[in-house]
Amino acid sequence: MMNTPFVSPVSRREMLRRTAIGFGSIGLAGTMQAAGLLGRAEAGTSAAAPHGLHFAPRAKRVIYLFMNGGPSHVDTFDPKPALQDHEGEVPASNTMRKKKGGYVPSPFAFAPRGESGVVMSELFPNLAARADDLCVIRSMHTDVPNHEPGLLLMHSGNQQPIRPSMGSWVSYGLGTENENLPAFVVLAPRRPVIGPYLWANSFLPGAHQGMSVDTNDMQVDKLVTNLNHPSLARAQQREQLDLLNQLNQLHLAGRPQDAALEAQIQAMETAFQMQSEAAEAFDISREPQSLHEAYGTSNFGQQCLLARRLCERGVRYVQVYYLSKDNNQPWDTHTNNDEGHRKLCKDADQATAALLGDLKQRGLLDDTLVVWGGEFGRTPYAEIQENKKPGRDHHHTGFTVFLAGGGVKGGLMYGATDELGMHAVENRVHVHDLHATILHLLGIDHERLTYHYSGRNFRLTDVHGRVVLDILA
Amino acid sequence: MAQRRTIGALRLPLLAVAALFLLVTFVARGEELTKERGEFFEKHIRPVLVEHCYECHSTQSEKVKAKLLLDSRESVLKGGESGPAIVPGDPDASLVVQALRFENFEMPPKGKLPAETIAKFEQWVKEGAADPREGSGVPAIAAVPTIDFAAARQQWWSLKPLQFHLPPAVSDESWPRQPLDRFVLQRLDATGLRPAAPADRRTWLRRVSLDLIGLPPTPAEAASFEADEAPDAAERVVDRLLASPHYGERVARMWLDLARYAEDQAHIVGKDESLLYPNAYLYRDWLINALNSDLPYDRFVQMQLAADLLEGDESPNVAALGFIGLGPKYYSRRSLQVMLDEWEDRVDVVGRGLLGLTVACARCHDHKFDPIGTEDYYALAGVFASTTMFNRPLSAETEKADAEQKDNKEVENGKKAAGEAKDPKQAMHVVRDGSPMDLNIFIRGSVENKGPTVPRHFLRVLCQGEPQPFASGSGRRELAEAITDPENPLTARVMVNRLWGQYFGRPLAASASNFGMSGEKPTHPELLDYLTLRFLENDWSLKALTRQMVLSATYGQGSGNTSQVSAFTDPENRLLGHFQRRRLTVEQWRDSILAASGRLDESLGGKSIDPQQVSEGRRTIYSRASRLELNKLLAMFDYPDPNVHADRRVETTTPLQKMFVLNSPFMVEQASALAQRLSADVPDSAYAAKYQRVDLAYRLLYGRPATDQEISLGLRFLSQGNGDRIQQYAHVLLAANELLYVD
Repeated sequence: MMNTPFVSPVSRREMLRRTAIGFGSIGLAGTMQAAGLLGRAEAGTSAAAPHGLHFAPRAKRVIYLFMNGGPSHVDTFDPKPALQDHEGEVPASNTMRKKKGGYVPSPFAFAPRGESGVVMSELFPNLAARADDLCVIRSMHTDVPNHEPGLLLMHSGNQQPIRPSMGSWVSYGLGTENENLPAFVVLAPRRPVIGPYLWANSFLPGAHQGMSVDTNDMQVDKLVTNLNHPSLARAQQREQLDLLNQLNQLHLAGRPQDAALEAQIQAMETAFQMQSEAAEAFDISREPQSLHEAYGTSNFGQQCLLARRLCERGVRYVQVYYLSKDNNQPWDTHTNNDEGHRKLCKDADQATAALLGDLKQRGLLDDTLVVWGGEFGRTPYAEIQENKKPGRDHHHTGFTVFLAGGGVKGGLMYGATDELGMHAVENRVHVHDLHATILHLLGIDHERLTYHYSGRNFRLTDVHGRVVLDILA
Repeated sequence: MAQRRTIGALRLPLLAVAALFLLVTFVARGEELTKERGEFFEKHIRPVLVEHCYECHSTQSEKVKAKLLLDSRESVLKGGESGPAIVPGDPDASLVVQALRFENFEMPPKGKLPAETIAKFEQWVKEGAADPREGSGVPAIAAVPTIDFAAARQQWWSLKPLQFHLPPAVSDESWPRQPLDRFVLQRLDATGLRPAAPADRRTWLRRVSLDLIGLPPTPAEAASFEADEAPDAAERVVDRLLASPHYGERVARMWLDLARYAEDQAHIVGKDESLLYPNAYLYRDWLINALNSDLPYDRFVQMQLAADLLEGDESPNVAALGFIGLGPKYYSRRSLQVMLDEWEDRVDVVGRGLLGLTVACARCHDHKFDPIGTEDYYALAGVFASTTMFNRPLSAETEKADAEQKDNKEVENGKKAAGEAKDPKQAMHVVRDGSPMDLNIFIRGSVENKGPTVPRHFLRVLCQGEPQPFASGSGRRELAEAITDPENPLTARVMVNRLWGQYFGRPLAASASNFGMSGEKPTHPELLDYLTLRFLENDWSLKALTRQMVLSATYGQGSGNTSQVSAFTDPENRLLGHFQRRRLTVEQWRDSILAASGRLDESLGGKSIDPQQVSEGRRTIYSRASRLELNKLLAMFDYPDPNVHADRRVETTTPLQKMFVLNSPFMVEQASALAQRLSADVPDSAYAAKYQRVDLAYRLLYGRPATDQEISLGLRFLSQGNGDRIQQYAHVLLAANELLYVD
């Protein structure tokens, strides 16, 4: 404690300003409990919500595996045998493309897996062994069949680039578990479609933007910029920091009671510590060979492994993008859908299953929520392009996302599309509902995590969102 | 004459709608209710309504949605916000049926009901929608409150006319240096507080230099000011700074934030270069020049909204149109929904940026706090719907060449309008009038749900009497004139308040872009009005206003809360009992570093730069501003997201910032340059020379000599350890808090 002659009362606003330290500060939950910014816990649940959260959290962190471009639900987790009967039949409703073909059944065999009997296609031999951990939502729907607005909606709850991303909201609401690491990290080997706005803090304080990490080269000093001084050894830099600290203390001595100056001094020291801590956290070469093999050597596999390391060390929200060297939305299989999915699912299956197994083995799956999905699904009917094998087009009125771990029911298939996989018809889950549910699992009431900006309170789910209670464990 | 057109087909006069409604009601009432039909209702319709609809649409609902009730015959026919819920006899035109079919609405929200159920509703409506329920008439739901604009003008501080207040008498007549000081001291007097002692001369000089030109004073300027004992020494400093071409660079920064200035779009698909604006800098240069020449603020605003309409296409001021022209374009602009979102951006940047009103809140419903109706929103949005963005050719040659080369088919197809440049590199992205059009109100912001058409006009609450529809073209010129009308109490107040925030760290009304009822009221309303009237008297001169502010005793106070009393009674310093210590903006900070290292390139204007480049010496305001990917250095140091208007910068302090300070190539390069400068300016390496180097470093970086203790710490560091100690030392000084803060 600083030895100050007296302590001045601090307004809530001032307190917010002063506590905006650390990567994402220690989060509203920790600092603002007294100020009641998160609102009061529900009556009777306050004991179960020790951190001033709205509910007892079921998950402490999130790993969001994003399949850029939109995976085909009817080829992965939503079998539609009726497509066989209607093969070649052109759907009556208007669709966005002119060159639409008829319904086309999936060439992949589906079977129930695990004790629960969660159904998936043959493309997921490894995930099949994790079937009882999966909570497959087959009744997702979103607002538009275009990548850009679809991506923005899935990430920020709005089709335009004017709102904070979910990771930023979570960072704002919960902060980081480890002050030497950022709360929100984004892993991608290149820029996905839309790019940085998908992890933008927007009007939230800058500390809540996702720290984007280019995983093209997994060497740790390539991953994290400015991690080390280009020439000075650590001991030399320590000497610099010692002098700097003395000078900053002299400066502070003439300016007592300035929490902001103290925060700067603290941040400098944290940065120095972080150089070694981050170097360790981001370094997957420290993982045993067996795990490297389990996750696979694909970029996506390596990213999943890194995501686990980061979460294990207290990163709150890790967003992992499935991209490839030559394609910033590889799941967008307008042509040659079957071959495309065969290849994509191979890596996705291996890495995702390895991640779930690894988390479980470490006891982390219970409080880590893993989300798997894209910005929408793909049409149950074909898209035909000249001289090319048929593909599937964008499809937003019914698709699949699955969750695992962190407080969701494993071994569950929830909701349904119609018999042809065209529309979500049973227990429909909109993007806003998914967001509300994810926040709920983290102990946050989506209607009460707000930020006052431009004359009103904003929230991730705007005026929408409904927690999907049926899937909570 | 320009043609008017409307979006959508709905131009039924209100009276006709009302007549139709009466007719419908009459028909329904007159319907013979046979027993059979009553049974059909009870069996197939009522249970569904009860189970799936009443939760949100009955008199028992906790919260009635869309003002729609479905629990009585009358209320079904009356309908809610979107109109009658059913049209007896016509299932396809009945909103309830449409909603069940998931056409325009999707009801119930939990999932589509079985096809058989929907078919029953269709049958029911088709057969006349017999409804045996005896309603108690339409239950009372609070009607849309009618806004009392006149009362708002009389009651709400920011909408009231400006009022002159005589600068008050104060306890210490010797303290004020400007009339504004009296308003400040009066408040302190009333609370029993005393102003802080004045800052010392060096501190004041560094403060005022960083505030007015964004650069620290040179050691020579500091020495000369310290030696200048003339009573007008401070005034001469301020006049020098206001005359400096760097003044415009500093003030333009504030404007760029609120104008959400950027040189590209967040949605760029593939290698599409049409959304890059390589000459956007011309708008930034226009701002800098306009501010340097002290263009009166009303003209400054008018040019940015309507230079083309006020001065013609050949005016050099058309670059100012970047204010609207460089705004965000969203993906899929052919969709009406997307354009509605874009127009919201324009309404927002004008509403919050110029008027301090959150007009955009009224897009989906009347403003919940302020006297702004949805009707007002669409009246303004129509101006921007009537305005198009385009690539104006930079030179007559380009225009001519393009006109000759142009594929006439493109022009015919409307892909490229005449007079538009082909290559964005040969053009600036600004606006011009398109076809004038009035918009419909879109009920609850929904593109499916059209209300009546609204003529374009200014905000009702700022008009005396009925607003005059804008008659000339898009209406931009009339809008610009209405905004800058001296009778409009907001525009000048908002700008004076912003400028106060620039120099005092906190605007008088803290929510600088929200002067509405959800914003914060000014701490010193009389002072704000006083300054605003002076501002208007001085023909909207920002420089004259600035001069009063920075030459005030209030501005000249020492920083930090040195009084135990005020620390308790005014911890946020709302009463201005001392100067608010501030962190530098990323621009001030990086420019200070460059100034100290000797790498600063003072050239004005021109193309954008990457501020992280180690060799880049141009000022930070010239950084390329991107919506797609904001420069990492800028983003890290709290530069606002240029996708939206920013009224202030939220400050964050993070270890990532410090890692940049400690390890980035840019900082290493600056440390090296500063070390070289220190060695070159003081060539001898004897002890005395080292001493002088330390001292020179302090003068260059912090505008003051080093203390004995700092010198001995420095000398000890320089004489120990390995490597290039002077560079390591320079790096430490660059990383220090003293460089990052201004007292």
